[in-house]
Amino acid sequence: MSDEEEIILSELDIKELYELMGEDLYDGLAEEVVEEVNEALGRGKTPYEVLTQGLVAGMDIVGVDFRDGILFVPEVLMAAKAMKAGMAILRPLLAETGAPKIGKMVIGTVKGDIHDIGKNLVSMMMEGAGFEVINIGINNSVEDFMEAVDEHDPEIIGMSALLTTTMPYMRVVINHLKEKGRRQDYIVLVGGAPLNEAFAEDIEADAYCRDAAVAVDTAKKLVAIKQGNM
Amino acid sequence: MSEESSEKSNLVLFMPSGRRGIIEQGKTVLEAARQVGVEIESICGGVMSCNKCRVQLEAGHFDKHGITSDESHLTPASDEEMALLERLKSTDCRLSCQAEIQGDVLIFVPEESRAQKQVIRKSATDRVIDIKPAVRQYYVEVERAELGEHRGDWGRLQASLKSKWGLENLTIDVHVLHYLQETLRKESWCVTVTIWHDREVIDVKPGYQEGAYGLAVDIGSTTIAGHLCDLRTGDVLATESIMNPQITYGEDLMSRVSFAMTNNDGLRKMHTAVIRALNKLAQSAARSVGLQPDDIYEAVFAGNTTMVHILLNINPIELGGAPFALANRDSMDIKARDLGLRFHKNSNIHILPAEAGHVGADNVAALIAEAPYNQDEMLLMVDVGTNAEIALGNKTQMMSASSPTGPAFEGAQIEHGMRAAPGAIERVRISKETKKASFRVIGEETWSADWQIGIDVSPEDQPAYLATGICGSGIIEVVAEMFLADILNPDGRFNPDLKSDRVRWNGRKGEYILATEKETSNGQVIIVTQDDVRNIQLAKAALYAGAKLLMNRMGVQTVDKIVMAGAFGSYIDPKYAMILGLIPDCDLDKVSAVGNAAGDGARIALLNKTKRLEAQKIATWVTYVETAVDPEFQNEFVGAIHLPHATDNFPHLNGILPEKKVSDSQSGRSTRRRRRNRARSQ
Repeated sequence: MSDEEEIILSELDIKELYELMGEDLYDGLAEEVVEEVNEALGRGKTPYEVLTQGLVAGMDIVGVDFRDGILFVPEVLMAAKAMKAGMAILRPLLAETGAPKIGKMVIGTVKGDIHDIGKNLVSMMMEGAGFEVINIGINNSVEDFMEAVDEHDPEIIGMSALLTTTMPYMRVVINHLKEKGRRQDYIVLVGGAPLNEAFAEDIEADAYCRDAAVAVDTAKKLVAIKQGNM
Repeated sequence: MSEESSEKSNLVLFMPSGRRGIIEQGKTVLEAARQVGVEIESICGGVMSCNKCRVQLEAGHFDKHGITSDESHLTPASDEEMALLERLKSTDCRLSCQAEIQGDVLIFVPEESRAQKQVIRKSATDRVIDIKPAVRQYYVEVERAELGEHRGDWGRLQASLKSKWGLENLTIDVHVLHYLQETLRKESWCVTVTIWHDREVIDVKPGYQEGAYGLAVDIGSTTIAGHLCDLRTGDVLATESIMNPQITYGEDLMSRVSFAMTNNDGLRKMHTAVIRALNKLAQSAARSVGLQPDDIYEAVFAGNTTMVHILLNINPIELGGAPFALANRDSMDIKARDLGLRFHKNSNIHILPAEAGHVGADNVAALIAEAPYNQDEMLLMVDVGTNAEIALGNKTQMMSASSPTGPAFEGAQIEHGMRAAPGAIERVRISKETKKASFRVIGEETWSADWQIGIDVSPEDQPAYLATGICGSGIIEVVAEMFLADILNPDGRFNPDLKSDRVRWNGRKGEYILATEKETSNGQVIIVTQDDVRNIQLAKAALYAGAKLLMNRMGVQTVDKIVMAGAFGSYIDPKYAMILGLIPDCDLDKVSAVGNAAGDGARIALLNKTKRLEAQKIATWVTYVETAVDPEFQNEFVGAIHLPHATDNFPHLNGILPEKKVSDSQSGRSTRRRRRNRARSQ
């Protein structure tokens, strides 16, 4: 294209650089996002600032456009992959600097269910929002969930199911938490095609998340409330 | 071959089979036929009551075959035979059980007299079925009971069946023994015996009474469809379909499994419902042609695995979750009465085998109907429903998979979706210039663009039905047409740059006005929303990805032929299915709808018992692929969300798909540069 202008990263001010990072994230351009993250770090910006003002800010827009039907699954996955590439650089640095954490989530598809595309999307969007996500895959029993919870000590437990016949297992997991007196320790989010709010309420989950964008919003909100209460 | 026949034996040639043999003088044509392996229909066994064994003698010298055939080479017809042939208006024929061989003859066996008949299905694809039913009838005269002879009536019946028909090692249904003695004595020890698989006597009727009928049924989760067939001729006498009453307990399969899981008597309720429905179906099919359900001697059932479990009163609970274990994968024969099915009380039912947890007897039935395993062509067969079943292969290898497409194609999760019923929009065309739609609704032939509506139009000129919603085929067409008319971008998003009074915006989400207030029954517009489009994208991507995964596994880039099975498949226009990217690229002439292939397959298995063995073999030969756990599935799924696909090409849609749609979906560095100057949409 003739009106293309070559962008020289070093010539951009930091606000423009973060903006560009957000736009490239939106377009799912992983290589470019990595270049921009390195550029920002090279200018002495803290990993936490690059994460929140660059990547998370960019993913926020992806989330909004997904919710509004502008973007769909393929575009969001591309953006999430670019986010992941950026995070690969930032994560070790964040751990070193002891930057504040947004939150941690253990997520999995429940026992009997082997479908995981929806859950993977939630997982990537949550990472995009800055959460640390432990994705334990498909066909998870109570024991599988508890093992991951004990190991990672998350704020949030996320459960997914695609089948009408497997979603009742979510209640089994929640009842187990109750029996152990640990229900109040976690925010339990549930989602999947056959679910609805009434079901989530019935099994006493904290919230039903209709899609990945809603999951991110809900997680942020509930974590904030929880941290405020502590 | 010598033209001179010896005094004692003669050359007999049967046409059209071409089988020949040297036959002893004085044998009947029927006996000769049996000797050389030509099957001529005969039930009465030579007492001139069934009139099935008619053959024609071809007179003349046939150089090609080295035979001189003449009428005098058969014994003349008796007065009785002549009278019978005259009555049947078949004076050009002979009864093969009567005519004895006296010289060389060329015998033509007409279609209706061949024991293995062929019927051609009158439909999209011509299916040829060899008639080899499991149930056959035999007429015998049984030795009378005498003092000092102790074989018993059943023993004497066995002796007659052996000497007359060569049937040995027979068993008898105990219920037949209840009336055997009385029946034998009714018409001076002459009876018509109905035998299943030349193995079990299931009925005995006094005198000569032919007539054996069978029922082939496909139990779908929505519809139960049955064909009542004459087991001797293969004719379909009646076709009936009824709603599956289990719908009360759950719309789709998983809801039914769920109902059985969560209700103690859930299974019993659903089992009772389907048995009642089958009895009703049998009764109405039989009565419509002057028969009784009692005339049905055998039934063959196909259906998805959940339906078959419930039919057999087996809890389908294990099918509700991985690893989706079946109670039994193999075919089965059981007595209809054991399930409370009120066909003939000694009749059997045959259940076709399944392939895997969610690829059932319906898929196997469709496979034996299409028989891709006998062909070189690489065939893709898809059955579109809430759960799509996919089969791919040819005679070298076959694979199958199931893919959860969800209920979007049935109109659920669609703002104005509905089931196929009068008033449902089923066909859609959108003008590229005006963006206005013309559509057709079920129950009205005229396209909406030609409708005359208004108070000044007389009622008979107005359409029979106004639009009330959009059914599955309509949804496929409208989304594909919206894409072609530039209302949708290839990524499925409403084109934000389009200005049209047919597109309105609900916040940032577009909505397309498919039917205006005037065109609908309730005076409200019918729209297609962004979320509708998204739901269709997900559903079609699941199907496409499943098919693609099988193609990758098999190492093929393209398929030679695609068949769309299932009731829904019949209503989908292949072109639109391809534009949408529901199915992969293929020569459009090689894409066809085959209707209820599962029902056809059940009928084939009913009429030809060897097909049952074939079904059992195929069911275990097909490799089932669990797509959901394949590491490539997610990539294939995501790629298939675009219209028609993000990367796959559709050369057969050249000239139909807009050129620029192809380049649009390619992103690269240039995208970044464009985005650089793009005003952010917020």
